[in-house]
Amino acid sequence: MNRHINRAVDLALTALLACALQAAVLPAGTLSGKVAGVKGVSVVYIDAIPGKTFPAPAEKVVVDQKGLVFHPHVVAVLAGSTVQFLNSDKVAHNIFWPSVGGNKKMSHNLGTWPTGEKREFKFDTPGFVPLLCNVHPEMSAFILVAPTPYFALTDEEGNYKIANVPDGQYTASAWHEGMKVQSKPAKVPGDAALDFSLTK
Amino acid sequence: MRVNKWLRIVLPGSVLILPLCLLFVSTKAHAIPVFSRKYQTSCTTCHLDFPKLNDFGKAFKDAGFKFPQDDETFVKQAPTLLGAAAQKDVFPHSVWPGEIPGMPPIGLRMNSFFQITGNNRNRFNVLAEPGTAPQVIPRTDFQTGLFSIFMAGNFGSDIAFWVDADLNVGGSNSAGGLGDAYLRFVNIGRFLKLPKDSLSFRVGQFELDLPFTQARNINLSSYDIFAQANIGAATGAQQNVANQFTMADAAKGVEVSGGHNYGGYHYSFAVFNQNTSGLDQTESPFVPSATGFASDSSFKNVYARFAYRFNLERNSESRKAVQAAGTTGPHDHTFLNLGTFYLRGKSQQALVSGSNVLYAREPYYRAGGDFSFNYRTFNLFGVYMYGRDDNQLPVDANGDLIELPLGSDSPAAVKFVSALPAKFNGGFLEADYLIHPWLMAIGRWDVVHSSADRINGLALSPDTPFFAPFTSTRSRFTPGIQFLIRPNIKASFEYQIRPRQFVTVVTDPVTGAVTAVNPFRVNTALFGLEFVY
Repeated sequence: MNRHINRAVDLALTALLACALQAAVLPAGTLSGKVAGVKGVSVVYIDAIPGKTFPAPAEKVVVDQKGLVFHPHVVAVLAGSTVQFLNSDKVAHNIFWPSVGGNKKMSHNLGTWPTGEKREFKFDTPGFVPLLCNVHPEMSAFILVAPTPYFALTDEEGNYKIANVPDGQYTASAWHEGMKVQSKPAKVPGDAALDFSLTK
Repeated sequence: MRVNKWLRIVLPGSVLILPLCLLFVSTKAHAIPVFSRKYQTSCTTCHLDFPKLNDFGKAFKDAGFKFPQDDETFVKQAPTLLGAAAQKDVFPHSVWPGEIPGMPPIGLRMNSFFQITGNNRNRFNVLAEPGTAPQVIPRTDFQTGLFSIFMAGNFGSDIAFWVDADLNVGGSNSAGGLGDAYLRFVNIGRFLKLPKDSLSFRVGQFELDLPFTQARNINLSSYDIFAQANIGAATGAQQNVANQFTMADAAKGVEVSGGHNYGGYHYSFAVFNQNTSGLDQTESPFVPSATGFASDSSFKNVYARFAYRFNLERNSESRKAVQAAGTTGPHDHTFLNLGTFYLRGKSQQALVSGSNVLYAREPYYRAGGDFSFNYRTFNLFGVYMYGRDDNQLPVDANGDLIELPLGSDSPAAVKFVSALPAKFNGGFLEADYLIHPWLMAIGRWDVVHSSADRINGLALSPDTPFFAPFTSTRSRFTPGIQFLIRPNIKASFEYQIRPRQFVTVVTDPVTGAVTAVNPFRVNTALFGLEFVY
């Protein structure tokens, strides 16, 4: 599991590196705060910025299935990123998602593959992707395909920090499993604080 | 006269009671919430439409209620260790360590039913004693089913256990009974360096290794052939058979088995008690009045089964796996399973003749074959079974047959001689189609032909206007549908269509006794709702 977290951190660092280049030219700050009303990991991200595109990192994120559980349960990637799906169990698994960002036309079934092998998928469209296994219906995980590289997962207490956000006016959103997405205007004049309180 | 009296009292009620009894005995323990808790997984991991097992569920059961590989990595409730594993190193100076489930492995089940009975349910009213009101058989009836407890799991070291008991049957103040209760020592062949899973041992009380389980099938009503006892008919050809054994009975004994139920060979061999008790001579019109209680436990029966399942995927890796691989995920194999089974036992009947008690020891056997074909979520399967009981009739000192039932002026019986055996045959054919993961459609045909059935004993005349031959005791078509409201809650419906029969009532010109000469059949609609937790 640590391996996957490290990869996710690497990915985030890569994205942040790209942002840092931007920040070398443009003033940037850190958006931080707390997501309240929930327990466990949430995702905070800055919505699409008109006129801006961001190159996807070459690094791939791995989502594993082990012990009838997806690892990690929540992962965030930049649009255009490739996710590798691994089955480390000695039972057959499957991965499919019924929608991307609520769009059921983008449902997809990756099928099944032997233990230890990987299968990849490139997520181009921003939105939340609920991962399911059609053999073990209790299994679930979520991928946030973020439109910008400015996103972060909270810690267990709900604290988050998004570094190197160029100064500007954005819309920031917070997501948590089973809760309504909350979006707020985010003004980043250097470091800024923004808290969320999620409800069902 | 005795027959007529019994008919007047019992038969009308049996029209309603029999289906309900069959209903209650047909489904004992179902899905296992115990394992859902232990592994934090859904019922559908092992079941298609609980309690029907999918291929993974079959492998889980074969392995001794464990995941076939790396079981410990899936367990979410850590077991309680009964000794550290390192204690094995000091054996025999310590007890070999084991484990028990971390939480009491208890599952509970409750079900209830609603029944609608066809219009001709009251045709036997004419048989009511003059001046007495016929028994009322309600057209609609709510019934409480079973409240059951079941426990299962693994004690580590490949020792599996199962216990289920019906705490309450049919409402308040109704005592239930023990279903299966056994220990199973899985893969003991490893001590003999035999191939993996080629030898396991089970001891306790258990359902025989039937081709298709009666105790844990999805239908509301039993498979008729597995619920068929062999009761001789006194009318016409004399028979002195009162073997209450049915294939669905829980057996007390031991069993060795091997192979897998999800592919390749599978066998079992069991030795168990003949522990049925025959009808009391005062309670049945079809067992000769001189026949006392039947079988005792002094006999041991044997049962053997062999089956081979051909998984039909072209890809050899997929064919050998527990589940087949598919483009949209793993699923049950396409397979053809062929099997055969054989049971041999001995039934005993006591005959009191004067001051003597004679015992007729009547060997019997059951033999049959079965098949199952599966394509994705469509499963077609069936069984044919033949049963034969020796028929021992009493003779007097001259070797002449003594007419049954015995009367006060009957000669003294000195021994038994073999006569025409009591035979039956039949089976069922069923098709299950899982339309959606939560919706199962079922069609089933049951048929039993018997020369010695208690109902058939009513009419041995070959010229009766039956739809089926006069030896046919039961035949029915049963379409049904089942809905999983939740993975652990199920609503079921089935409609039992029996060939239309008419009751013909005749009056004996000599005695004036009224007799029904045709079997009675009635269509029945059954609704069931059950939940496990």
